[in-house]
Amino acid sequence: MRFEHRRGRLVFHLGKLKLEYTIEPRYWRNPWIGVAFLILLPLLFWNKPDYMSLISSANVYAAIAIPLAWQMTGIGRMNFGPQFFVGIGGFSAALLSIHLGWGPWQTLGVVVLFSLVFGLLLSPLTTIAKGLYFSLITLILPLMFLEVTFVFTKMFQGETGLSGIAPLFRFDNIRIEQIVACYFSLGLMLLFLLIVDQTLRSRIGLFAAAINDEEDVAEVCGLNINFWKMLCFTITSVMIGIVGWFVAHHDGVFAGITYLPLTFMVKILLVVIIGGRGELYGAVVGAYFVAILEKVLTIFGAVNYILFPLILLIMLFTLREGLYGLYRQHKYREYYPTMKVRKR
Amino acid sequence: MLLRVENVSKLFGGLKAVDDVSLSIEKGEIVGLIGPNGAGKTTLMNLIGGSHKATSGSIFLDEVETTGLRPNKICRLGISRTFQIPRPFPDLTALANVGVGVLCGKSRPHMSYSEAMLDASHYLEFVGLFGKRNTLAKDLTLFEMRSLELARALATTPKLIMIDEVMAGLNPGEASRAIGLVRRMIEEYHVTILWIEHIMKVIMETTDRVIVLQYGQKIASGPPREVINDPKIIEAYLGEEIA
Repeated sequence: MRFEHRRGRLVFHLGKLKLEYTIEPRYWRNPWIGVAFLILLPLLFWNKPDYMSLISSANVYAAIAIPLAWQMTGIGRMNFGPQFFVGIGGFSAALLSIHLGWGPWQTLGVVVLFSLVFGLLLSPLTTIAKGLYFSLITLILPLMFLEVTFVFTKMFQGETGLSGIAPLFRFDNIRIEQIVACYFSLGLMLLFLLIVDQTLRSRIGLFAAAINDEEDVAEVCGLNINFWKMLCFTITSVMIGIVGWFVAHHDGVFAGITYLPLTFMVKILLVVIIGGRGELYGAVVGAYFVAILEKVLTIFGAVNYILFPLILLIMLFTLREGLYGLYRQHKYREYYPTMKVRKR
Repeated sequence: MLLRVENVSKLFGGLKAVDDVSLSIEKGEIVGLIGPNGAGKTTLMNLIGGSHKATSGSIFLDEVETTGLRPNKICRLGISRTFQIPRPFPDLTALANVGVGVLCGKSRPHMSYSEAMLDASHYLEFVGLFGKRNTLAKDLTLFEMRSLELARALATTPKLIMIDEVMAGLNPGEASRAIGLVRRMIEEYHVTILWIEHIMKVIMETTDRVIVLQYGQKIASGPPREVINDPKIIEAYLGEEIA
């Protein structure tokens, strides 16, 4: 194993394998400014529990939207049901914690395993179902899961959800516990951001972009599209499953009615669309925007449920590239394509 | 023998798009595939490239049977192609487009991403697009898109390149540049070419042999001069003489 510094890159040689890391300032300057801002944010509101929970929610939304952005590019299809894996992760963690008394770090391994199994089982859909059919199937999956939680009420406690899940951290001071949980959610989101960002800068990102653009042509160029689509779907499903695990242990309660219905999907979709379809950093911007919007809209009471999709529709028509798209109009550098619904 | 197609047929419902076609191509040959519109030329190309599955018959590349293999496996065995209507990856840069060919075409497990891009730059330079390496493919002109497709096809390090109407829509100046490019590809990379083309002048000047298809059937094969004077071919292209 040896390191080598080439122009703007660090190259790690592991036997015959070469791993590269881009160190050009133009690539990391803006992301680091953003990260520094996000790290400082909880400190500014440390004595306001409402805002702390808003920041945690935003991080959770982003942590779902980031792998989803990779998934939608890498499989070339719109997934309308990422919350299915939030459910898999959340319920696995909750059931193990309540019935077997497992702690969060014990349940994590099983959550990863379950998400991996379900991801693998569902991944052939990316090769069988095209375009809108895939979107429809993924839309139905979490709703079916929700029905299951009602049918097997004894197991999943349908309406009320499972409570008494072991918390992630235990501190005597509730405020410290909240700050730690907030930073943990931020850490999880940033970890996902780093993983997906580095992946998309590698050959895997290039393959994902090629599949998203013209999957038939990518196959003619020698790319095993079925393998890469299934791999992408499975890995991102595991990542979303881990978010479910975090939510269950963070809240201490996990209810299907909170995370599986369309309303939660609309939120995630709003994050993706506002951020800019297929944009990683846009997902973070979108997540904070949606979390703040959600908070602001609560003053309208029940109208909130109509306003949310209404805003989604307006943004769909007016900001096709999302909020991040506004930034990109000034600093145009298109690394990866925007998502499109495949009709063929 | 590089490519051997044996009694290949393709049915689309009741329509026989390719009907019991057999042909062979030697290494280093430039073979023209001609015929009127709807003769089954592109379908035959799709069958060879694996985009369509043959209803019957067999295809061999270097004596390895490729019938029924997926397009990516056929590409890795050494068959690459361009498209009648250019199909680049529109939202990727020209460099990334060719990079896909470099990384996917042949198994190069130890090639890093930047080495692949360096290799892709070489192919872009070869087709004269190095200056546009950072331009999105959708922003290129038709001629540039066709050149990009040729570079992408070359990047997969093929033994056989199937070119589908590379001249379509090009002005005379661009067309002659495209011919020059294909000639240089053959000289420098020693690839075998199967070329679908409607412009007979190009076929006459460039190819060693011509195969003619009509209604999905092979009706003639031979040197271009001989084939073009065959009354059957004249009839196929121009129709029967009136009175």
